[in-house]
Amino acid sequence: MTARRGVRALLLLTVVCGGAASASAQDAPFVSLRVFGEASAERFAAVHSFDATFGQSIQPFYGGGVEATFRDRVFVDIGASTFSKNGDQVFVSNGQVFHLGIPTSVTITPIELAAGYRFHVRRLAWLVPYAGAGAAWYSYKQSSMFAQPSDNIDTRKAGLVAMAGAEFRLQRWVGVAADAEYAHVPGILGAAPSVSNAFGENDLGGIAGRIRIIVGK
Amino acid sequence: MRRSRGLLLIPFAVLIATGLVVRGQQASPLVLLGVGLPAVDEGPIPDETHRPFSPEAIRRAAIHAADDPVRRGRGGRAFTAGRVIVKFKDAASEGARDAAVRSVVASGVRQPRTASADFDVVTIDPAADGEAVAAAFRARPEVDYAQAPYRVHATLVPNDPLYRSSPSFSPGQWNLQMLNLESAWDIQPQAGSAITVAVVDTGLAYMNTTLDVTIGAFVDELGTSHPALGHQLIPYSAATQIVGAGHASRIVAPHDFVWNTNTPLDFDGHGTHVSGTVGQLTNDGIGTAGVAFNVKLMPVKVLASDWDVAFGGSPFVGGTDDMVARGIRYAADNGANIINLSLGSAGPPNCGTQPNQDGCSPVIESAIRYAVGKRCFVVIAAGNDAEVTDPDFGLNPTSVIAEIASRVPGAVSVAAVDRRALGQTGARRCTGDPNLPDCHAYYSSFGPYVELSAPGGSDRSFGRDGYVWQQTFDFTYTDTFDPAITPTYGPPRFDILAYVGYIGTSMAAPHVSGVAAMLMQQGITDPAAIEAALEKLGIDLGPPGRDDKYGFGLVDARAVLRGLGLAR
Repeated sequence: MTARRGVRALLLLTVVCGGAASASAQDAPFVSLRVFGEASAERFAAVHSFDATFGQSIQPFYGGGVEATFRDRVFVDIGASTFSKNGDQVFVSNGQVFHLGIPTSVTITPIELAAGYRFHVRRLAWLVPYAGAGAAWYSYKQSSMFAQPSDNIDTRKAGLVAMAGAEFRLQRWVGVAADAEYAHVPGILGAAPSVSNAFGENDLGGIAGRIRIIVGK
Repeated sequence: MRRSRGLLLIPFAVLIATGLVVRGQQASPLVLLGVGLPAVDEGPIPDETHRPFSPEAIRRAAIHAADDPVRRGRGGRAFTAGRVIVKFKDAASEGARDAAVRSVVASGVRQPRTASADFDVVTIDPAADGEAVAAAFRARPEVDYAQAPYRVHATLVPNDPLYRSSPSFSPGQWNLQMLNLESAWDIQPQAGSAITVAVVDTGLAYMNTTLDVTIGAFVDELGTSHPALGHQLIPYSAATQIVGAGHASRIVAPHDFVWNTNTPLDFDGHGTHVSGTVGQLTNDGIGTAGVAFNVKLMPVKVLASDWDVAFGGSPFVGGTDDMVARGIRYAADNGANIINLSLGSAGPPNCGTQPNQDGCSPVIESAIRYAVGKRCFVVIAAGNDAEVTDPDFGLNPTSVIAEIASRVPGAVSVAAVDRRALGQTGARRCTGDPNLPDCHAYYSSFGPYVELSAPGGSDRSFGRDGYVWQQTFDFTYTDTFDPAITPTYGPPRFDILAYVGYIGTSMAAPHVSGVAAMLMQQGITDPAAIEAALEKLGIDLGPPGRDDKYGFGLVDARAVLRGLGLAR
């Protein structure tokens, strides 16, 4: 029931904002290019696996990218970010985690291509809500002390992303955006033997809160 | 006549009350005089020679040649065939790199760059000369350097001379190499220094002394009469590779439940051999190596040997359930972290469901549960009766003590594999395919209670190369009552030690105890978790999953010490 209400509210907002913004959008250039820097905090779907390996399941990503807007409505952006951290090799038995004191290093580098719509609200010209979706290619590298070559991982898998948020104009050329992003990336976690397999977790995605500094109109 | 002691050890089945029958013997206390000399170390006892060009030797050589892609380079270093390492100059484009590969070796394939590498690996025909191909790459202008992938080894390859196979000692300690121990020692060079392993067995040769005993007349089980030898002073020495060179402090809380003393001296050699596999001094340039070579050892004697009987300490060879149970509880109460039980007894298969029937050992089960409750990990030999037909329990009778382990998380039963598991890799390894070698040791009892496998050795097909070798007594000086060994009966001496080959699940179990000790020091202290780690991170042998011959598979020391990463 609650989910249905949320979807209805989102559709209503889309219609209202889209309709309300039609006048201002007509003044926008056909294409506008912007660059952005990004910081995010992701709560990985593999909560237990990241907790066991790194001590917490919320981890930071840093990156940047470029975005093209068309009539300031439709946007397409491509960005890359990275997360890198040292954790511990562990063993999991009946949900209990035993740390073995052997460093393990994981680097995750998603490259995302997303498209979406920017909603212009007539009475809130400084605020531009947006929503979009796209594809992501996740590079995953894992290495550890005492590893043999076959123990290390360097792989890439595709996933899906969806995001919604709002952009605030700080001045003519600079804006800041905040959004929430959901990512689903199967195929990297979950193989046996591994921590993620022990916990039955196979999604490298999660939910991230992102802040972007945007330079460009 | 000297020959390796191919004992199918567990030689002392619990409850065996046969062996030697003492007649007219005066029970005398075992007096240890405060005088003793260091042992004489005779080195390995020669056995039947490994015959070159025998069918077995040819077969093994063929397997090695097929499996191992190692090649010897012109400079003498070994390298792996089938690939070369190439570092292209940064300015070289991808196209130029591929062109260079094609021009040097037509069948070469540049592999995707792996993590932590700034170079490329180019796969080539395994028959090609890797060094020559590397030289050809080096001549290319777009290449910084190229080389064959030379073999390197782990930091700690023990310098104990008997560890590696050599012309003078062909077996080597294949059993330790099978467990991936060199890599495990790199992970944990302390090798269990904070851990105490109790070896509940025939005792341990851990002190230099002189035995002041009276040996009465007796008739052994073959009906051979042995006259009284009267009062004797018998030299007894510590195993130099257990407590030599200032390592006496590694012996903690010794206890003897046969003589009820705190000096559990081994008069057989079994307990000393087992202890050696757990923790033989290693990397000292002498003799053999052990698994967790820095552990503390707690010798707990619950099994009497022939000489315990002849000296008047026990009416029978072996032990009883109550002695074993007391030994287990004693170890748990006195700080043992691991308890090794290289002993067993045949009994009914259903003690789990009907524990109070005749033939079951609830007293030992209670003791094992008590020990696990005190956070001791218990390792039990699975038994050597695979080809034995017991009059009551039939062929391959259940080892009742090992069977207990299968019902107690934190206790494991260990079957034996032979050296055929060495050198086989991946999917070819002891799969149960009738066209491939079966690694299960022929004597190793099997059944639903088997949980793990470890090297126990085998004399079939392998001769001395199939044994597990450790330092213990030279039995030509101890088994003087056996005319097959010494023609003249006389008092034994326990100060002549040698490296002797044994086989049995008794030998398999201490490998697991040693790995468990290292794992415990690595951070897994819960006995049930140790069992889970050994089972989940072992090498699955036989049909996929647990099976009755190999249990969950062969213990892999490196895998369990390294644990799990996020995705692998």
